[in-house]
Amino acid sequence: MEMLVNTVRMVDYDQLKEYSFGDENSLKENLAIGIINPEDFEKLNLTTSLNLKLSNEDGKVIIKVKQKEDVPIGTILMPVSIWANQITGISNEQLIFKNIKVNAETTRDNVLDIEELLNIIKK
Amino acid sequence: MKGVKKLVNKRVKCTGCSLLCDDIIVRGDGLYIDEVIGACLKGKEKFEQITGKNRILSPLVRDKGELKKVSLDTALERSIEIMKESSKPLLYGFSTVSCQAQLKGIELAKSINGFIDSNSVICQGKVLNTAKEMGLTLATISEVINKTDLLILWGANAAESIPRLLNKILFSRGKFRMTGREIKTLIIIDPVKTASFGVMGVRDLSLNIDPGKDIELIRVLKEECCTPSGFPADGVAGIDQDDLKRLLIQITNAENAVIFIGQGILSSQTSVNVVHELLDLVHMINIKQQKGRMSIMMLGGHYNMAGFDQVALSLFGKNHSLQFFDNNLVETSETIISKLSKEDFDCSIIVGTDPISHLPWKLSKALMSKPLILIDNKKSATFNVADVILPSSLTGIECEGLAYRLDHVPIELQKIVNPPNNIISDEELLSKLISRLNPI
Repeated sequence: MEMLVNTVRMVDYDQLKEYSFGDENSLKENLAIGIINPEDFEKLNLTTSLNLKLSNEDGKVIIKVKQKEDVPIGTILMPVSIWANQITGISNEQLIFKNIKVNAETTRDNVLDIEELLNIIKK
Repeated sequence: MKGVKKLVNKRVKCTGCSLLCDDIIVRGDGLYIDEVIGACLKGKEKFEQITGKNRILSPLVRDKGELKKVSLDTALERSIEIMKESSKPLLYGFSTVSCQAQLKGIELAKSINGFIDSNSVICQGKVLNTAKEMGLTLATISEVINKTDLLILWGANAAESIPRLLNKILFSRGKFRMTGREIKTLIIIDPVKTASFGVMGVRDLSLNIDPGKDIELIRVLKEECCTPSGFPADGVAGIDQDDLKRLLIQITNAENAVIFIGQGILSSQTSVNVVHELLDLVHMINIKQQKGRMSIMMLGGHYNMAGFDQVALSLFGKNHSLQFFDNNLVETSETIISKLSKEDFDCSIIVGTDPISHLPWKLSKALMSKPLILIDNKKSATFNVADVILPSSLTGIECEGLAYRLDHVPIELQKIVNPPNNIISDEELLSKLISRLNPI
């Protein structure tokens, strides 16, 4: 299913806060997430035990999903983090952080840790 | 009584975000901070970073793939080695350090023929770049508090990014107005119903614009300002005709309006310059306006993002992307993005930021492929890949310095407590690097 990703900064899902007061697990729990509308949650046949795989021409990432009615249908909000930046890219020498087109599909694959992500980027 | 510490209340400034609140009370004995009163969630976290889990407390150097604790001298020497071996060094960050450190950063870039850029280039610097061609009407926080009757948050979630901003500007009584919130109208233009929508009252206007359609709305408002012909019956950019009429009435009749520009509009489209169109709209309204004016305020997140623009502008007339050669500034159209995309650098010096988390992975990969020196006070993804790490003290808590608030007003930051392990400031670290590079 095609969706739009918007990277956002939210007090509850803040990168700096997680680095300062959390640990590797809380970092992944609170930043490797996407917030979507409950209608999209149903359309994607998601359950709480399943994850969401986002992919586009810039890359791919697996995230956990949270639901919120305030999120517009067809939109995924992702906190600014290394996970969100697996699918961001560059256009006209500008970084694309909003309205990023992605293909979203349900997956049983696990969300990667920060170390695993860094190793993949290095390769 | 002997053994009982005497607690003192002190009014300080907060570096939690670019609002630099100056009404925070810290209670402590001069050695430790016991209590922080009046800070928002972000501000409180900033003060708690003194003892944060991710605090960098000693210099580190990567040896055979592993980070090892070393003396400051050893870490500085390793940094000098990397810089001396480099012919195209790249310096980036500088938006969470003092203006004095920014000045030293530019000095260092000059002495090593480096390219220096700040986080502003991918954020609020876009507005300043556009303003070079067409001018910019700015307002200060005091002006907004005292005079503004219309506040427009455009692609900005102020309630979460700059938590006390609405507190100060919306729920306050102005010096030149008898009334407060009741005469202030808030308009929020955003595709997402963010936390900022929570403060809206009956006279306010919430506009859930379609994603990436800001440009359509701006253009139709410009047309209506010049030659009113009525809005399309089916609305524009997901906003219906009635709301468009209300929006136009508000922006053309306000005595003192301010548009707060957030990342939502700055990054909404890359094919057109949305900021150019927006500044043009403001310009048109100001020409038409008989009784008031409309201004812009840029909502940068990092506490001294505006500082780098000010420092670079005052020294070189250019707010970012400075390339030096033979101790002189040379013309360049490169930015941090193009430099990293083309891998046109051979080492990087990152100061007070985390590009590995903030930039697309392809640019992170480029950064990771070359030696990286990190000057910062906290661990991050960039910390995990750096070759040399120089710890710095927290400006505004453990050392003093100057910072520019989001409305480009300079604010002096103070030292409240001593840093742990006698960690020195970003400014001192950069000074040490410069003096070792150029011994007298």
